[in-house]
Amino acid sequence: MIIIGENIHIISKAVSGAIKSRDAQAIQELAMAQSQAGVHYIDLNLGPATKDPIAMTEWLVKTVQAAVDLPLSIDTLSPVAMDVGLKMCKRRPLLNSISGKADSKEHMLPLAKKYSAEVVVSVLTDKGCPMDAASRAESIMETVAHANSLGIPNEDIWVDPILLPVNADQSQAKEVMEFIKILPDILPGVKSTLGLSNLSNGTPPQLRGMLNRTYMIMLGRCGMYSVIADALDRQLMAINRGEMPEIVKLVYQVMDGESIDMASLPADARDYVKTARVLKGETLYSHSWLED
Amino acid sequence: MTIQYKAPIEAYTGAVREITIGTGSKTLKMGGENALPFHFFDQGAIPNPPHLALEVWDMPPGDWAQWVLEPYQDVIADPVAWAKKAVEYGADALSLHLASADPGAADTPPEASAEMVKSVAEAIPVPLIVYGPDDEKKNAAVLVKVAEVCQGQNLLLGPAVKENYEVIAKAVLEHGHCLIAQTSLDINLMKELNIKICKSFPPERVVIDPESPTLGYGLEYGFSIMERTKQTGVIFKDNMTQMPIIANLGSTCWKTKEAKENRKQGMLWEGITAVSLLLAGANIAVLRHPETLRHVKTLFGLK
Repeated sequence: MIIIGENIHIISKAVSGAIKSRDAQAIQELAMAQSQAGVHYIDLNLGPATKDPIAMTEWLVKTVQAAVDLPLSIDTLSPVAMDVGLKMCKRRPLLNSISGKADSKEHMLPLAKKYSAEVVVSVLTDKGCPMDAASRAESIMETVAHANSLGIPNEDIWVDPILLPVNADQSQAKEVMEFIKILPDILPGVKSTLGLSNLSNGTPPQLRGMLNRTYMIMLGRCGMYSVIADALDRQLMAINRGEMPEIVKLVYQVMDGESIDMASLPADARDYVKTARVLKGETLYSHSWLED
Repeated sequence: MTIQYKAPIEAYTGAVREITIGTGSKTLKMGGENALPFHFFDQGAIPNPPHLALEVWDMPPGDWAQWVLEPYQDVIADPVAWAKKAVEYGADALSLHLASADPGAADTPPEASAEMVKSVAEAIPVPLIVYGPDDEKKNAAVLVKVAEVCQGQNLLLGPAVKENYEVIAKAVLEHGHCLIAQTSLDINLMKELNIKICKSFPPERVVIDPESPTLGYGLEYGFSIMERTKQTGVIFKDNMTQMPIIANLGSTCWKTKEAKENRKQGMLWEGITAVSLLLAGANIAVLRHPETLRHVKTLFGLK
């Protein structure tokens, strides 16, 4: 799977502090750490970028590109910052993201065309976030059709189904998987990505990785092309390199409803099985799901 | 030509634990079903009907509507006499609310509350449920003492919440009672609390109180949480949701202005809430008005 490293994120206090004080070294270290971990893209999440978007984006893109030679995913709600960011990219960038909202289609989407960028298109619309596979399909087809009409081909579009925290709505993990499975049929040629860590928002911090990694395995089997993820999670990157085949096989067995002899498994493997059962919707989520 | 139709019959794999409260001749079994609530048409058994308890207070309530006080007018200041009267009205169990123990009320000391609980428990021919004061700290102190003084009576004591369950559960187990585990309208947190409690407490002695909002004030949330609790337990065999449910609804109903402003309306408010939550899967409902109890029993064909 293509991994977009999420670690340069404005919500992180260390990152927002470094950007404010123009601490190039701190940002470059984060970029290099992700590069060494093996990510394919580096996401620069600038948030809404309301204050001084031009100078901030210029500085950040320049700083990161001076340290690593990876394509960037420019992630901001500000069309001004997006324009500047895309313009400066040395390698073909990813515009992250546009949605079916009128404002986004009008102000953000044309930038993808202008800079010939690839573009993340989410299922959000002015009506909100669709909550099942079928309504996700309905809203994405409309938005992608609009992008096509501007001359952006399916091959340049990365569909984001919008993943909600398992803690907020457990059924969403399953709905997103269903949607990813049908995506090639409804929009041939499109790619897919999503914010993986959002799954574990609000869950116990030390257990977030377990949810994220298990779900990445499940998504991979559904045909997911890419995830925006924590590049510094070593196990996550190892799974993606194919270095944990026995864990992957176990998760697949849960997905197939096969019976599993829990007593014969090491503790870590049992945790993956329990987590897969939660994400499949078989076990009710609670913060103590691993002790269940 | 005739068309053959055979209604599908569900067979479930999970079961709600059967819990007995009380001792000797005054016991009550709740739960035990391995089918969804009232699904008599599916495979499985529903061995125990839903039960109805009446609320009794340890002090004269200050803010009850006049028509809820009426049935108890002559006994309102005497919990033992009040309890006896409530039994006469047909309650399967009583739920004694230790309102006076709250620091904001009379702040009755735990020892005095415990003695009072004991005298009520001994005076009535039905099992006793005890709800301690809202204040978490005080509630823990009170319930620990009640558990100790009423040793071996197998009362149903609560509520234990995430802030105080450890000390309460320990005393409840040590002195031979059952425990009410309470969370606020969140099925994930409900399961979380059950997992934590059951690390050192037998699940066969836990009753879930997911909170019971009333008609017009979130009844549908309470309904869907009870409904899902039963589904995860009975259909998906979730070990940590297979406890019987208590719907402590009298207090939430009679707080509303609708119930307070009109006698018949109040009765209906409580009755509709009770019927809804029993249909959702509550195994025992705590009501405040004896007449609602009578109506609900008639509706469900309960003795």
